[in-house]
Amino acid sequence: MRILTERMEAHPADSHTLERYRATDGYSALSKAFGMAPEDIIEAVKTSSIRGRGGAGFPTGVKWGFLPPDRFPRYLVVNGDESEPGTFKDRQLMERDPHQLLEGIIISSFALGVSQAFIYVRGEYPKSARRVQAAIDEAYAAGLLGADILGSGFGLDVTLHLGAGAYICGEETALLNSLEGRRGEPRIKPPFPAVEGLYAKPTIVNNIETLSNVPWIVNNGGVAYGMIGPDGSSGTRMFSLSGHVAKPGNYEVVMGMSWREFIFDIGGGIRDGRQLKAWIPGGASAPWFTPDLLDMPVTIDDAGKSNSMLGSGAIIIMDDRTCVVQAAHRIVKFFSHESCGQCTPCREGTTWLEMVLDRIEHGQGRSMDLDLLLDISDNISPGLRWPPAMTTICPLGPSATAPIVSIMTHFKDEVGSHVHEGRCPLG
Amino acid sequence: MSVLTGNDLKNALAILQRYPDKRSGVMPLLYMVSRVEGHVTDAGMKQVAELTGLTAVQVQSVASFYTMFKREDTGKYLISVCTSISCFLLGADGVLAAVEDETGVPDGETGHDGMFSVEHAECIGACGGAPAVQVNYELVEGVTDDKARGLCRWLRDGRPELVLSDEMQQLFGGTRSFEWGPPEASGSSGPYPAFGPYGTAEEGK
Amino acid sequence: MCTRGGAPLADQVAFSVDGRQMEADSGELLIEACEDNGVYIPRFCWHKRMKPVGMCRMCLVEVEGPRGVALVPSCTTRIAPDMVVHTASDTVKKAQEGVLEFLLINHPLDCPVCDRAGECPLQDQTMAYGPGESRFVEEKRHYTKPIPISDLVMLDRERCILCARCTRFSDEISGDPLIEFIDRGNGTQVLTFTDEPFASYFSGNTVEICPVGALTAVPYRFKARPWDLEAVESSCSDCSVGCRVSVQASQNEILRINGVDSDPVNHGWLCDKGRFAFEATTSEARLDAPLVRDHSGDLMIADWTTALDAAAERLGALGVGEIAGLGGARSTNEEAFAFGKFLRAVADTPHLDCQLGEGLDPQFVVGVTPRATIDDLDTAGAILLWGPDLKEELPVLYLRVRRAATELGIPLVVVHPRRTGLDDVAAHKLAYRPGEGLDVLASIAGGNGAIGELLAKGSVVALIGRTGLSEDQQLAESVGAFVRDLPEGKLMPLVRRSNTYGALDMGVAPTLLPGRTSVRSPEARAALEEHWGPIPERAGSGALGILEGLVAGTIKGLVLLGSDPVSDFGDPGLAARALGAAEVVIALDTFASPSVEMADVVFPVLGFAEVEGTVTNLEGRVQKVNQLIPGPGSSRAAWEVIEDLARRMGSSLGFTSAAGISAEIAAIAPAYSGISWERLSVGKDRVGVVVPAEEGSQPLVHIPVAGSATRAPDGLALHLARVLYDGGLRVGLSPSLARLAPTAAAYLNPTDAAKMKLDESMRVRASTNGTSADLPVRLDASLAQGTIYIPYQLADTVGLTATPTITIEAV
Ligand SMILES: Cc1cc2nc3c(=O)[nH]c(=O)nc-3n(C[C@H](O)[C@H](O)[C@H](O)COP(=O)(O)O)c2cc1C
Ligand code: SF4
Ligand code: FES
Repeated sequence: MRILTERMEAHPADSHTLERYRATDGYSALSKAFGMAPEDIIEAVKTSSIRGRGGAGFPTGVKWGFLPPDRFPRYLVVNGDESEPGTFKDRQLMERDPHQLLEGIIISSFALGVSQAFIYVRGEYPKSARRVQAAIDEAYAAGLLGADILGSGFGLDVTLHLGAGAYICGEETALLNSLEGRRGEPRIKPPFPAVEGLYAKPTIVNNIETLSNVPWIVNNGGVAYGMIGPDGSSGTRMFSLSGHVAKPGNYEVVMGMSWREFIFDIGGGIRDGRQLKAWIPGGASAPWFTPDLLDMPVTIDDAGKSNSMLGSGAIIIMDDRTCVVQAAHRIVKFFSHESCGQCTPCREGTTWLEMVLDRIEHGQGRSMDLDLLLDISDNISPGLRWPPAMTTICPLGPSATAPIVSIMTHFKDEVGSHVHEGRCPLG
Repeated sequence: MSVLTGNDLKNALAILQRYPDKRSGVMPLLYMVSRVEGHVTDAGMKQVAELTGLTAVQVQSVASFYTMFKREDTGKYLISVCTSISCFLLGADGVLAAVEDETGVPDGETGHDGMFSVEHAECIGACGGAPAVQVNYELVEGVTDDKARGLCRWLRDGRPELVLSDEMQQLFGGTRSFEWGPPEASGSSGPYPAFGPYGTAEEGK
Repeated sequence: MCTRGGAPLADQVAFSVDGRQMEADSGELLIEACEDNGVYIPRFCWHKRMKPVGMCRMCLVEVEGPRGVALVPSCTTRIAPDMVVHTASDTVKKAQEGVLEFLLINHPLDCPVCDRAGECPLQDQTMAYGPGESRFVEEKRHYTKPIPISDLVMLDRERCILCARCTRFSDEISGDPLIEFIDRGNGTQVLTFTDEPFASYFSGNTVEICPVGALTAVPYRFKARPWDLEAVESSCSDCSVGCRVSVQASQNEILRINGVDSDPVNHGWLCDKGRFAFEATTSEARLDAPLVRDHSGDLMIADWTTALDAAAERLGALGVGEIAGLGGARSTNEEAFAFGKFLRAVADTPHLDCQLGEGLDPQFVVGVTPRATIDDLDTAGAILLWGPDLKEELPVLYLRVRRAATELGIPLVVVHPRRTGLDDVAAHKLAYRPGEGLDVLASIAGGNGAIGELLAKGSVVALIGRTGLSEDQQLAESVGAFVRDLPEGKLMPLVRRSNTYGALDMGVAPTLLPGRTSVRSPEARAALEEHWGPIPERAGSGALGILEGLVAGTIKGLVLLGSDPVSDFGDPGLAARALGAAEVVIALDTFASPSVEMADVVFPVLGFAEVEGTVTNLEGRVQKVNQLIPGPGSSRAAWEVIEDLARRMGSSLGFTSAAGISAEIAAIAPAYSGISWERLSVGKDRVGVVVPAEEGSQPLVHIPVAGSATRAPDGLALHLARVLYDGGLRVGLSPSLARLAPTAAAYLNPTDAAKMKLDESMRVRASTNGTSADLPVRLDASLAQGTIYIPYQLADTVGLTATPTITIEAV
C-alpha cells in the first residue's frame, strides 16, 4: 500500500511537475476540499489518527484543534528542516512530488483559516528548495495559489524560507525564531505555537510528510486512512534506512511488520554478510535497539514501550564491526555541535560528554569515566528514563544521552575494555 | 559602502515585502550578501541591519548562529564531507582524509590559492547514499575515497563556473538515497546554496 | 478588572512549598512567589525586571502534576491554585549541583583577582548549592581576556556564564542592543560588533546585573573588595528623576554607585552619568577651603572666620531688596529652605530663584494639577511626551516610558523638533519647528487625526517640558492647559536639575513660599511670618530680572548656592556682565565653577553623600539622602554657612542641625506636613513620599493658560538642547565620562542644507545675539525643516546664547 510514493515511482521523469501531478489525479482533493466545510476537513484529519511525522508523533488533528477560535491572522509553517541524522525522507517528498505537498498545504490552510503559509527548508537542501519553489511558481501561475484559488474565494500565499545550517531549527519553536530572523533558539513552552507562534500569532507547525498525506485523507476519508496499519500507527510511513544495510533508501510502508522483516526482507539484511549488532530505530536522538527485539512490531507504541521511538523514521543499522564508543561519540558530537547553547546542561554537558568519549575512544579513559558519563547524562536527563526527563528547555540536550545510555546498557563490557585496556577490543 | 545595490537591492526589498515583519528577511539577505561578497562581511551585515531595522551586532548574532553563513573568505569550491553517523559508518572519515590530502587543505580551512575550502559537515540528509559530499551545497552521493579524489581533481582542473549536482553524481557518485529523477540545470557558483528567489542560483547549459 | 495594558489583577491562591502552605497572586512566577514567602530559589538568568528566559536552569524545582512530578524552571512557571512544589528534594538538589558543576567546568579559577569576588552570585551559590570537587579534567574554554567593549565596560568571556542578562537588558530595557550572543552552543559568547562599541547610556546596569565578573566597569576595576566598602542608600543627584542608589566608599572616598530597586522610581536602573559622575567629587576643581578676593583682585585662601566676616560685612552693607540669591536646585531641601529663609527673612529680599531661566514657570512646576507620578505611566491610556529628549536629559524616566510603551503596550506620542530616543517605540511622532508649537497643538487639539483621536480617549499622562533651551517656556502652559481638558489627563512638568522641585517647594522662587504656597497669598505670607518674622510682601525677580538688575545696579549683591549662571544661564554674556557689575558676589559651592571664579567670597560646602537631608524628585517624591563620607578640607554644610552668615548679619535662622530644619519644614510648609526623616528611613516610605503628603495640603493650584507662547519669527529656528555627556562641570570633572562628550555640530535638515548649499564637508558660523560658534555641518533628516539643532554646552558651543532664531554662514 502506497500513499505518498506511488506517483514518483510510476513517473520518475516528471512526477514533480504540475502537468504530471494533474494527470495523476492531483489537486482533485483540493477541489473536493473546497466543497467541504473547513471543520469537516479537520474532522477527517482527526479521524485518520495520523500522527506527526516530524519526530514527536503528536496526533495532527488534535494539534489543529488547539488553534484558538477567532484569532487571526494565523499561520501554517511547514517543517522541511529535516536534519535528524539518518533522515532523508522529506527530501524525497519535496524533490519528487512537491505538488502533493503543496496540495496538502493549501487544503490544510483552507481548513485552518490560514492565508499565509511558510515552508522552512534546510539550507543544505537547495535542490529540494528549488523543486518546491518551482512547484509554487507553477501553482501561482495556475491559480492554485494567490487570491481566490480556483474561484473558491479562498486565498493563500506560500513563501519558502531557506535555513542556514542549524539542526535545532527543526524544533518547531526554534524554527519559528529562525523564520522571524532570530537565532534558532527554542522557546519556552507553554505558550505552544498553536496559541502563540510565528510573530506571536497562532501557528500550526507540521512536517512535510504529515502534510503530504492530507490530499489522500481528503480524497479517501479519515476512516479509510485510519484503517491502514495498526492502532496508534495509522497510515503508511516513510522510513529512511541507512548504515550497514544492504539496501539503504526510503521505504513507504504500512507499520506493524516486525523489525526483522523490515531490516532483513525490505532492507536486504546486513551489508557484506555481517551480523547485526544494534540499530537506531528513529534517528540519532533515539536509544538503540539490539537483536533481541527483532521480532517486535514496528509501531510507534511498541518502540515507546521498549524505551525508544520511531522519531523521524530514520533507521540506522550497525553491524558487528562497529565500535560502539566511536558510534556514540559521533552522535554525541553531533548534538554538542548543534546545541543552541541556551541551557547550561545542554551547552556544557553535551560538550563534556563528547570530550570524555573522545578520551575513552583514544585509550585515555579512566575507570571513573564510566560513572561520570552516566552522571553527566543524568544531570541533563534526570533518572535517565524513557520518555526522558529534562533539565533543559528542549529535548536536544537529553537526546545526547541516548547513545550513552544505549552503550552503557547494552555494551558495557565493550566500553569497559576501552577504558581498562586503553584500546578498542574490536581492533 | 552598500553591498546590495541595483537589482540585488530591489530583490532584497521585494523579499522583505514577503514577510509580515521585515526582520524575517535577515537570513535571505545574508545569503545575498554571501553571493556578492563571497562570504558574510561586516559591511554586508551593516546593510542587512539597516534594511531590517536591527543593529549590526543583532545581525551578526543571527549570522553566527548558522554554519552556512561563512564569516571568512571561502574557496571557489566549498567541499563539505558529511561525517555524521550514517556516513561515518560507511567510511566518511576516509573520504574526508582523501579530500584533505587531494586538495592539500585541512578540515576547516581554505587553501592559499582560494580554490578549495574543506569542512566536515553534520548530517546533510543523504544517509541512504552514504558517504555523501557537497560541493557548494550541491550533493554527490555514494562517494568513495578514490571518487572523492577524482572529484577534487576534476574541480581543480576543469574549474567549472557552475557546480551541478547531477553532473558530479554521474561522474563521481554511487548509491543514491533515492532515485533523483531528471537532471536539473540549476547549480551554484559559490559557497552558498543555489536558490532562485535569493538570486544565488545560476542556470547551466 | 484589568490594569490597562498589564496583566489582569490577580487573585490570591494557595499553594504549598516543601510542605508549607503559602499564598501568592495567581499567575505570579513561582520563583517570586516563593521568595515573597521566604523561600529563596537560586538563579542566574532570572531578573525580576526582565522577561524570564529560563536559560540557566539553576532555578529548577519539582512540581506535582497530573502526570507525576516534573522538574520545571521556577522562573518561567506560574503559580496555579493548589500547586505542590518541592524546592529541596533530592532530584532538585542534584539538578542544582549539576547545573553549578556545568557552569564551573568552564569558569576560570581567578576569583582572587576578580572584582566580583565577595559579592558574586556564582561564588555564593556554589558555596550554598554546589558540588564538591570538579570532575572535569579537560581543557577549559579560552578567550582573550578582558576586552574593552566600550570606554566604560570591560568583558571577560571566560567568566561569562551566558545568562543573557546583559544582552536582554540592552535589547529589552534600554533599547540599544549593541551587545549580543555570537556563535552558538558551547562556543556562544557575548560580543559587540567590530566597530560599534557598547556605547549605551545605560551600560553600567549590565555590569551591576552580571552574576559573575564577566562585565566590569572601568572606573571601578580593582579599586576595592566588597568587604572593604561602606555603603549608604541615597538618591542620585544628577537629574530630577532621583534614582535610588547605594553609595559605596572606602577610606572616605566614593568608589562606586549601584542602583537600588525602588519600585515607583528606577526599578534598580541608573544611567551611566548618575553611576559614574561621582568621580568629580575628588577632582582638582573641588573647593576645600574658603576663599576671599584680596586687594589685588585674587581669590586667596582664608580661614572661615575671616571669610564669614567679610561676607557678612559686605552683604550687611547693602540695603533692602539689593541682595539676590540664585541656586538651591542642586542642594537638599533643608539647604534650599535655609537659603530661602536667609534671603527673605534676613537679607530681606524678594529676589531669589533656583532656576536659571532654562526651566519652567515655578507656579506651573509645583502647582499644576492633576499631577502624574512615574508609576502612572504604567496604567495610562496614552502617554504624551512634549518636552526634552528624555534619553539625554532624564535617562531613567526614558527607561520607564520605554517600558510602558513596549512591555505594557501603552501608546506613546512624542512631540519634539527632531528624533528622540523614544521614537522607535512611539505610536506617533511629530517633529516641529520650535516656535510653531502652538500650531501643532492646535492641530492635535482639534481632535482630528490619529493623535487627536488617541488623546481624546483620555487617561493621558503628559510629560511636559521644554524641548530645548531656546523654546518659550510658556508653550508648556499651553500644552498643560490642553491636557487638563482631556478626560482624566494627568501632568508631569519636566525640569532637569536634580532638586529643582524640592527647591521650588522650599520657596526658592520669586513667586513661591515654602510648601507650595504663593507669595501673593496674604494668608500664606501671614502664616509664614508667624515663624519667620516679617518678609517682603511682593514677588521679586527671577533669574533674568536678577541678572538684569545687577547690570542695571538696582541689585547690588548676589549669593550663589551651587549655582553657576556664567555657564548655565541661557545668555551667558549677560550673566558674566551681571557678576562683573555686582558689588559683591558670595558663592557657596563644591566646585570652582566660572561663576565661583568671579565671586568675592567663596565657601566650600559639602555635597552629595556628604550631607544628610531630603530631596524631591520630578513627581514630587521626597526621598532621604544620606551621608557616607566627610567632605574635603574644611568644607561645611551649606546650611551651617548660611546660619553663620545670618548670625553675623544680626539675626539667627535658629538652625542647629539639618534635622532641625527638616522639622521646621514639616511644621510650616503645608505640602510637606508630616514628612520626617524617620518616616523616610524605615518601612514602606523608604521609597519616598509624594507631596502633597496629605490630602488638601497643597494650597497652590496653578491653572495653566492656553495660547500664551510666542511664535518664532521667520528664519532659522534654533533648537538648542542638551546631550547627556555635555561640557558641564559634572561630566567634565569625571575622567571616565569626560571623553564621552560628543563633538558639537550644526545639524540641518537635508532640504534646508541643500537650499543653503551646505553639505557635511563644510563648516558654518552659527551666531545668536552676538555670540557665535564655528561648527561642522551635519545632516539630520529627522529635524523639522527650518530648524537648526545645536547640542548645548559642548566644548565648542559653550557661550552660545539661547535665542529663538539664529543665523548661519559658511566659513
Ligand atoms: C531537536 C529537535 C529537532 C527536530 N527536528 C525536526 C525536523 O527536522 N523536522 C520536523 O519535521 N520536525 C522536527 N522536530 C519536531 C518538531 O518540533 C515538531 O514536532 C514537528 O515539526 C511538528 O510536525 P508534525 O506534528 O507534523 O510532526 C524536531 C524536534 C526537536 C526537539
Ligand atoms: S536543550 Fe540544548 S538545544 Fe535545546 S534549548 Fe536547551 S541549549 Fe538549546
Ligand atoms: S533563573 Fe530560571 S532558568 Fe535561570
